[in-house]
Order: sequence, then structure tokens, then C-alpha cells
Amino acid sequence: MKLNLYENKEDLNEHVDVYYSNMRPVIRQLIDTVNSERPKLKGRPADEDLDDGEEVILDPREVYYLDHIDRKLFAYTKDGVFRLMDTLTSCEEMLWNYGFVRVSKSNLINVYKIKQLKPDMNMKVYASFDNGERICVNRSYKKSFNDYLQKMRRMG
Amino acid sequence: MREKIITFLIELGCVYTIVSVGGAIANMIVGGQTNNLNVIVMFMTCFIGTFVLNLHKLFDKVSPLLMIVVQYLAACALCAVMILIVGWIEGESVSPRGWYEFYRSFTIPYVILAGYYYYRVFSDTKKQEDLIKEIQENASEGK
Repeated sequence: MKLNLYENKEDLNEHVDVYYSNMRPVIRQLIDTVNSERPKLKGRPADEDLDDGEEVILDPREVYYLDHIDRKLFAYTKDGVFRLMDTLTSCEEMLWNYGFVRVSKSNLINVYKIKQLKPDMNMKVYASFDNGERICVNRSYKKSFNDYLQKMRRMG
Repeated sequence: MREKIITFLIELGCVYTIVSVGGAIANMIVGGQTNNLNVIVMFMTCFIGTFVLNLHKLFDKVSPLLMIVVQYLAACALCAVMILIVGWIEGESVSPRGWYEFYRSFTIPYVILAGYYYYRVFSDTKKQEDLIKEIQENASEGK
């Protein structure tokens, strides 16, 4: 995408014009950023030794997947694991345009971070990530996962 | 619940039609014949097969391979009960040859369909992986 920046110190009415051919997720992300509605995931390190009591703002693009365990929601990134205060359902709605899709009752995965999607010998399908972790794509979510990928590609 | 029953009956109707027409074509080719009891047994077998395969939601947490095996064993057990009941109604015991023929004609399509399912899991996953790569490439080009 071509980016043009124009500096005009006399123009106090700052504005952004977006020319697009297709309202795809990256355009929606841009709109969110301009409207200051870019989703932010607030979390704290899951490891209590690393938790200094301050909230950390996570960029959704850096998150591999979200895992809901024992009524707690965790975000897995390259830098570690963070506990989030949101619910999995609210994250699912908030992060739809950011590549996040539900693959089981307790997991949302970031399709931009998937390194490999592969079934193992017992036919369970796993999404692998750079951090070496893998998440099972549940059979019940196979159709919605496929629909999501098709939509993302069409909008792509 | 009502919707589930309707869906089940539609699936049963489709399965029975396919099996029945397939059986009729096979009979025309090899010159075989059927009778009323065979029709009932064929319908009951379709009912059991459709019912057992419809239970797949219960096996969501186990591997598909285990699901296929467990469903096959469950279907075999239910079919055995059905054959015993039919034999009791007819007042005849089922011969070993009868058992063998029944399970052979039940197992062969099951194994073929299971193999097809196995193939579909791998081919669908490959397609999904290609889609993911395409989405990732589009996203990196759009940046």
C-alpha cells in the first residue's frame, strides 16, 4: 500500500483520506487506528515473578493465540504469556479484523501467526506457531474456521 | 430437538435411497434377488449406521481415528442385536455364513467411507493451509 504524507503547518484541519478498492481487514485496521479505536489488549504477565503490578498493552498483531483456562484468559506472544481481563467472546468480536478466529471452545488463534496447519496421525488438526506451541482445531469449528479463511481471502 | 430429528430423518432417507438403489443396480448386474426381510434389514442397517454416525458430536474431544473405530464397534454391536432379533422373529438361528456375509457387506463400505474421511481431513487441511499462506502473503504485500 502506498503511503503519502503531506505536511502543511497552516492547515489546522488535519485529516486522513483513504482510497481503497476493497474494504479488507487492513483497511479496517487503518480506520480503527485513525478513529483511535484500535483494539488494545490489556494484560499482566502470567508469571507472578515478572508481574510488577502494571498493566501491559499488547498489540494484537504480536499475539499468537488466546487460551481460556480455568475462567482465566491468557495471551501467548513471542515475549511471554499474559493474563487478560477481557472475555474470550469479546476478544473474538474485537479481533475479527485482526486475523483472530475461534478454533475451539477455549482458543482464538491469529491466522497471520500460523506457521503450519497439519493433521497428525490420529487425524486431529493442529495449528503450529513460531514459539513451538500448537493448538488443536476442533472438528466442531472446522466449518466456521474455513468460512473465516475464505472471507479473509476474498477481502484480502 | 425437533430439528435434530428432522435432520436425522432426512439423512436416513438419503442414505437408505442410495443403499437401496445401489443394491437394486447390483442385483440387476449379478442377477440377484431380494425379499421383504432383506429390505427391512437393509433399512434397519441404514438406521443404525446413520444413528451411530450422528453421534460424532459426542466424540469431539477424542481423535477422529478413535471416533471411527468406536463408532464402528458400536454399529457392529447394534447390528448384532438387530440380527439376533430378526432371527428370533423368523424362528431361525443365524448361520455363521449369514453373520460373515452381513458383517462383510457392512464393513466394506464403512472402511471405504472411513478411508475417504481420512483423505478428506488431510486434503481439507492442505487447502486451509494454502489459504492461510495466501492471506499472510496478501497481508505482507498490503503493509
